[in-house]
Amino acid sequence: MIPSLVDVLVIGGGATGAGILRDLSRRGLRCLLVDKSDMGTGTSGRYHGLLHSGGRYVSKDPIAARECIDENRVLRRIAPHCIEDTGGLFVATRDDPADYVEAFPEASAACGVPCEEVPLDELFRREPALDRSIWRAYRVPDASLEPWQLIEANLADARAHGSQAVPYQRVVGMTRNGAQITSVELHDERSGSLSRVAARMVVSAAGAWAGRVAALAGVELAMSPGKGTMLVYNQRMTDTVVNRCHRPGDGDIMVPVHLVAILGTTEIRVDDPDRYGISREEVMALIAEGSKLFPDLPRMRLLRAYAGVRPLYQLEPPADPGDVRGISRAHVVIDHEQRDGVRNLVSIVGGKLTTYRLMAEQTADAVAAKLGVSVRCTTAEDALPGADDRHYYWLGHRLAEHEHQGGGDAELICECEIVTRDGLERFLDEHWPCSLDDVRRGTRLGMGPCQGGFCTFRAVGAMARRGTRDGDAPGRGADDRSPPESGAADDAAEEATLAAFVEERYKGIRPIVWGRQLQELWLTTGIYAGVLGVGAPRSAPQALVSGVNASRVEPTPGGRDGQG
Amino acid sequence: MARADVVVVGAGLAGLSAAVGLAEAGARVEVLATGHAATHWAPGGLDVAAVPGTETPAAGLRLLAARPQHPYALLASHVAPALAWLRGVVAGSGLVYVGDLDAPIRPVPTSVGRTRPAAILPEGQAAALAPWAPDERLLICGPLGFKDFWPEAVAAGLRRPEAWPGTAGPARVDAVTFEPPGFRGTRNHNALDLARAFDDASWREAALVAIARAVSAAGPGPGRVALPACLGLADHPAVLEAARATLPLEPFEVPLVPPSLPGLRLYRALREALRRAGGRLQIGEAVQRVDVEAGRVVRVAVPAAARQHLVATGALVLATGGIAGGGLLATMDGRLEETVLGLPVEAPDADAWLAQDPLDPQGHPLEAAGVRTDGQLRPVDPTGASGGAALYENVHVVGSLLAGQRYLRERCGDGVALASGHLAAELLGSGRATGRQSLAEARR
Repeated sequence: MIPSLVDVLVIGGGATGAGILRDLSRRGLRCLLVDKSDMGTGTSGRYHGLLHSGGRYVSKDPIAARECIDENRVLRRIAPHCIEDTGGLFVATRDDPADYVEAFPEASAACGVPCEEVPLDELFRREPALDRSIWRAYRVPDASLEPWQLIEANLADARAHGSQAVPYQRVVGMTRNGAQITSVELHDERSGSLSRVAARMVVSAAGAWAGRVAALAGVELAMSPGKGTMLVYNQRMTDTVVNRCHRPGDGDIMVPVHLVAILGTTEIRVDDPDRYGISREEVMALIAEGSKLFPDLPRMRLLRAYAGVRPLYQLEPPADPGDVRGISRAHVVIDHEQRDGVRNLVSIVGGKLTTYRLMAEQTADAVAAKLGVSVRCTTAEDALPGADDRHYYWLGHRLAEHEHQGGGDAELICECEIVTRDGLERFLDEHWPCSLDDVRRGTRLGMGPCQGGFCTFRAVGAMARRGTRDGDAPGRGADDRSPPESGAADDAAEEATLAAFVEERYKGIRPIVWGRQLQELWLTTGIYAGVLGVGAPRSAPQALVSGVNASRVEPTPGGRDGQG
Repeated sequence: MARADVVVVGAGLAGLSAAVGLAEAGARVEVLATGHAATHWAPGGLDVAAVPGTETPAAGLRLLAARPQHPYALLASHVAPALAWLRGVVAGSGLVYVGDLDAPIRPVPTSVGRTRPAAILPEGQAAALAPWAPDERLLICGPLGFKDFWPEAVAAGLRRPEAWPGTAGPARVDAVTFEPPGFRGTRNHNALDLARAFDDASWREAALVAIARAVSAAGPGPGRVALPACLGLADHPAVLEAARATLPLEPFEVPLVPPSLPGLRLYRALREALRRAGGRLQIGEAVQRVDVEAGRVVRVAVPAAARQHLVATGALVLATGGIAGGGLLATMDGRLEETVLGLPVEAPDADAWLAQDPLDPQGHPLEAAGVRTDGQLRPVDPTGASGGAALYENVHVVGSLLAGQRYLRERCGDGVALASGHLAAELLGSGRATGRQSLAEARR
């Protein structure tokens, strides 16, 4: 499965890595992409879902603003199926400085970001949940962008051009011969086996983890991971992306994403991109700020809290080490030959999802130059697979498809996201063997308002059925009754799946444990642990007698990934 | 304005037990509830206590009763009489419970291929309790295309020895499906649709023939067959009897995710008993206001069509449930509020609410949160500020609102609900609670 020799090894299966793989493959290079986990489970899968217009950066970082609007236009062209064209608003609350607000149109124009004022009566007619004291509003071309579909489309295009992308391969070692990395050692996180791959060039697109990858090559690369916490609401209180019209801060963006809306973000420096928590104070601050946009926010039901880490990198040492808002979002392509004397290692750090393609292009340019390849980049012109009809994603798309296919007669496995039995079985056929997480990301099963409470065990059932299908073809009825052979389904994986589901619900709710969220958590736990007997072994008797476990609880990152 | 001797808020096992008991004693009872309670998603058995390391509910009950903070410290002696009383009440609707406090706790299968410990089960599930003989097999049989029961997944789970803690499981577990008559081409059925179909005698007959064929074709030999819990609602006893007569193996029901038919049957039996005894039941609105005069609740108001429904009452039984039921509401600033009267709630500090591990066998500290009472189930201040005196003279707290239980981990919720509901009915029915004649007696 893992080739022993490739032109380029790309480390990191986020949007940037997938974009690099696509770009290099289209230039005729044979590449391999690996990720320590599944694709899009790091920063890309845990972002707020916003395709920037650039409006957020017009005053603070005009270069970033220009990059954003350029790439915004490119992505609308090459990946419209991953975009819901919600449009965006910058609104001025009582707390926002008048000079910033008044200067916003001009600053936008200077960066090429289209911006027009929206009359307030029209604003409140269109978005009635907004605070009535908002005194100015501008429309910009923000949108909602789905990361997993985007990553999948980039990988599909790369595969069509002869490259490979393999998940669950952790880079555990690099062998250097002088200035050259001669081979990279991969650990298969599922089977435990080791393999070795030699590459003419190694590209680290590991984002917040880039420092660790570089260390394996004996190179020091100091990242400043910046944690951003987001809150997922169970409804779209807005159909438009809403930003505060001020210098970027915490809790000032609301993005409608599929059936839910996501409030972001915070920005806190963390030392370890795998170990960070979400504190109650942080959540309260987010809600307090968000309430300035939507005053009913404290009474709305939350689905989960989650956090991602920005892959921030600072060329100059910071004046204040705690200040990560001050660090540029700009991306940097680092050629470690010039910097560290390692000939065939390139890292791409910094940046944001909106500009992933540009980052990939610049990285691929650097790699191509080093390999003497002169083929130019085509990723901005050619549409991604799946974009054939050039239509934007729209919220009613699943329902329309469902009705088109027979409407009420199609069996719904996930009612919230309209995942039908046929759709799920088709996905399993195409991706088998796969995990429940793959199913979630591939179909959005369990990402709606019930958060998987009612469809997770159904999906597990369908997967068990798929696993035993050789002995038990679908559609067999009372006239075809031989029992299937046992053992085909992966019992251990299934066992872990349901417990993991409860654990994930718990992690996502832990920082927001009040009101309906807590009630829902108790109901979910009651059904899964109480009624269905998941993960509730009758353990040692002393467990009961020792009583309350009141030990101080360490906060944990909420949710396995974002957007639902 | 309506008048009642007792208003019961909440229509779960605790509230209905209290209401039926009071109505049977001659009191005018009005039950007001926001919605349906745990009966509609609980698996239908009666969990008194399944505590790690104990063999029977009675042993678990003793263990929990020895903890002064646990509701069983007060209620332990009421469990057995309450259980006996409930059996009598639901028997009126043909509902039979098997097992008692001294029955061994055994692992019984669930609809995701796990087991949970049980000792007292409705007749329809009772065949799951018997130990598995060395050559006995278990057949998991489900209707084709029913999305809440996946026989292959259930069988795969139950083949694992870990699914049967402390005992031997079946020698073999297989999965088969049958086609429910007339369902081909129709979709999105839940357990309730199937149960109503089973209530129809001719459909039932055809379905049982299809099940019998699937079971027979799976091969000979001793064994039992597990079916999803959908064997009828109104006519469940008849369906169960027909299933036993028709199927070649002893059948038992496996409870499903909501809607839970075994729980619904229990709810319906109690509702029937309440109506037979002359009690009233109104579901759909939350209590809006409670009027208090001189330390006593005198009136309860709920919204009704176009106006407020006011009930003057002699006493209030609070059976609103815990966090899951909505009797307790957590606030953003880390407190718990009791939702009807604003009673003080005993709860750990907010940062100690949850344990590190979501499925921690010890449970979460927050599970034990609730309202503290005196020996007559009347609310007291948990800090001792009221000197242990009742905050309301004629309010009695029952069920999972009571502090000190961990119903999920101790599996004591039904026992606490029944015993407290029964005790509240006894206190109010006999007048011991207020030291005066009972309300019912006074009216006579």
